[in-house]
Amino acid sequence: MDFIEGGDLRYDYTSYDDETNEKKTTQALKGVDISIKKGEFVALLGHNGSGKSTLAKLLNGINMLSGGTLYIKGLDASDENNIWDIRQSVGMVFQNPDNQIIASIVEEDVAFGPENLGIAPADIVKNVDMALKAVRMEKYRLSSPSCLSGGQKQRIAIAGILAMKPECIVLDEATAMLDPLGRQDIMNTVMRLNREDGITVVLITHYMEEAALADRVIVINEGRIADEGKPSEIFAKVEKMRSLRLDVPQITELSYIVNKKIKAFPADITTIDGFVSAALKIGFKEGFSYKKEKKRRNENTENIIEVKNLTHIYAEGSAFESTALKNVSLEIKKGDFVGLIGHTGSGKSTLIQHFNALEKADEGRVFFKGEDINADKSKLKSLRQKIGLVFQYPEHQIFGATIFEEVAFGPSNCGLPEDEIKRRVKKALSLVGIDESMCERSPFDLSGGQKRRIAIAGVLAMEPEVLVLDEPMAGLDPRGRDEILSNIKKMHDELGITIVLVSHSMEAIAEIADSIIVMSEGSVEMYDTCDNVFSQAERLRAIGLDVPCMTQLFARLRSEGLDVPENIYSVKEGADILISALRV
Amino acid sequence: MNLTIGQHYPVDSVIHRLDARTKILAVILYITAVFMAKGIAGYALCTLFLAVCTVLCRVPVGLMLRGLKNIIIIILFTVVLNILFIRTGRELFSFGIIHITTGGIAVSLRLCVRLVLLIVGSSILTLTTSPIALTEGIEALLKPFKKIGVPSHEIAMMMSIALRFIPTLAEELDKIKKAQTARGADFETGGITARARSMIPLLVPLFVSSFRRADELAMAMEARCYRGDVHRTRMKSLKYGRADYASYMLLFLLVLAVFVLRKFGV
Repeated sequence: MDFIEGGDLRYDYTSYDDETNEKKTTQALKGVDISIKKGEFVALLGHNGSGKSTLAKLLNGINMLSGGTLYIKGLDASDENNIWDIRQSVGMVFQNPDNQIIASIVEEDVAFGPENLGIAPADIVKNVDMALKAVRMEKYRLSSPSCLSGGQKQRIAIAGILAMKPECIVLDEATAMLDPLGRQDIMNTVMRLNREDGITVVLITHYMEEAALADRVIVINEGRIADEGKPSEIFAKVEKMRSLRLDVPQITELSYIVNKKIKAFPADITTIDGFVSAALKIGFKEGFSYKKEKKRRNENTENIIEVKNLTHIYAEGSAFESTALKNVSLEIKKGDFVGLIGHTGSGKSTLIQHFNALEKADEGRVFFKGEDINADKSKLKSLRQKIGLVFQYPEHQIFGATIFEEVAFGPSNCGLPEDEIKRRVKKALSLVGIDESMCERSPFDLSGGQKRRIAIAGVLAMEPEVLVLDEPMAGLDPRGRDEILSNIKKMHDELGITIVLVSHSMEAIAEIADSIIVMSEGSVEMYDTCDNVFSQAERLRAIGLDVPCMTQLFARLRSEGLDVPENIYSVKEGADILISALRV
Repeated sequence: MNLTIGQHYPVDSVIHRLDARTKILAVILYITAVFMAKGIAGYALCTLFLAVCTVLCRVPVGLMLRGLKNIIIIILFTVVLNILFIRTGRELFSFGIIHITTGGIAVSLRLCVRLVLLIVGSSILTLTTSPIALTEGIEALLKPFKKIGVPSHEIAMMMSIALRFIPTLAEELDKIKKAQTARGADFETGGITARARSMIPLLVPLFVSSFRRADELAMAMEARCYRGDVHRTRMKSLKYGRADYASYMLLFLLVLAVFVLRKFGV
């Protein structure tokens, strides 16, 4: 018998209607057959609401199945007497690092699981030592979790599971709220545990690059298994994945498109290395050459935002003092689309909060259309209308009883007449693709992606001239990410709003932004066009960033002697070049 | 976010190293002594004891006295009231309805000293004990009462989770406030109803998020086999050392001495 074996798994959620008190049953899982071998690394994919989290919670006895059979290391999961054994053998790491840490000191948190199991104190200390070592966090034993980065917190959460000596770890979107460095951190840890210690891993993720590392991928859709197989097999089905609201790694998509035209080229490549060797095997046409002009900077001379010698120090004079911004100067031109990148703690969020005076500069000044924004306090309110700021996870700030109330909050604070407010709400909703007929519904009933769009509409309704968005795609599933991105593009192209987009996704920034600000340790490291920024891969890597996937690939091909530029960002463009470059 | 909860001042000292249970019980005994003291000798003894502790715990005296700043008004208020309304002993001064007597002065002086002794004394507990140690101590001390239905483990767990989440929620509130400010919300001006209304966009998201966090945390705890105080062990069990026994002896002697002094009326 395999480590995990489930047949015809079913799970129903029961809820009661608020008004009629009628019992409602939602089938989250409608008959899933699953088997996972000991030591296997399985990725579970599916859009938000597909049932993958429900399945994960069945695997460690948090949810009890409504139907079917499930055996975990031979134990019947439907028997309540077994759930403690099952929870000990199958540990679970959740999405939000802050909401799974119990204690105020790292070692006490790691000890929580073994304490619950009733292990003898001397052995708990041993387990905690072992677990902290396994996630390479021994140094932080006595630290407070609130001082750690997101990636470090998740490693502590993993250590908390390891200290219970489990055989399997389930990661339920454990990387979704992390920055690229944190994600890398977690993936390295998980791979090491799987390869070296033989721990079975079930990874739920929206990042296809992470799923590509697994031994096997299981795709869940509407409570059923939609597909199952090796990552390369699954990702080669580009159209099917798209229809399931999922995505495939850019490299696989590229190989799939190339394969359509050139049959000899494999359609299921998941790594850059694999792609390069496949391309070399086929060979390139003699003397092939492709030239691409570098994009020029926006010639518009009118500055909409200007920052001069800005310095910001948090908690000045106390033990917690830290300099968030060091003498930052920059200009943003009217109508520009600027990407803002930098790892967590580089000062991005502090910088954008200075744009509309939410943070006050310790030194230096900020100008909006040539006017010092801090010169006249009474104008702050109208300034904040003109510079809209969408925070990270904006759906967490929703409070309105209805969608209308929520979106109208900004305009009504501006003291606009009722007709105007109505007009603006309508317009803002249509911009984010929410139907006007939903106005009277509660925003809390919507899905995560829809809530986020409502929150963005709430800022848009103030009709800002500049829109600053702090990681608007974070935590969404692939389709949700695409929708938000195309909404933002529309706001820029059709309404001419100046956009500042903070993102960790180099691919998204490269495809959509005109120029890029690179922040590192409180300073502007680079501020140039996409082409000029991404041509400096080494410099970006030195500060913990990277270049888009397509750029990496074309740089590799170039070093193999193919005369192609590096400033290629979209899969489509890359495919066009390769199709004409490869020898047929 | 700079929050000093319980104002724990982490340095290494004899008092810092004492078991949390010892310190909690010591404070209770000390308070008993202070309340029992009647004459100058009794108060002097308590003050001496406090002075020794203050030196031993290595917390700057200035920091400790800063705690008094917040309640100085209450102390002054009680002192003035007592002087005005107690009319025993010899009259020193009278004007209209105001009569100041020796008895009044004596009582209010005693009260003043007593309050200062109590506040400084108990602040030594919070200054030298980390919040976690404090909750552990409370849990251990409440354990005997479990039989009569006091949920000692649950109380301690709730306290430590609350302490753990204070910085997280403070950060969250700050973020929500900024986000609503960016949408033109105004929390500072307007009448009382306007201001109360302006809290809705802050409090609703904060409540929603607290419920979400509570839900997720409960699930994470269950996933790690938490089932209340059933078969539970602790990594670090509290252990009394020589210093703890010595402290208990000292406190008993203090209480006894104050009691004897009281009998003799000094």
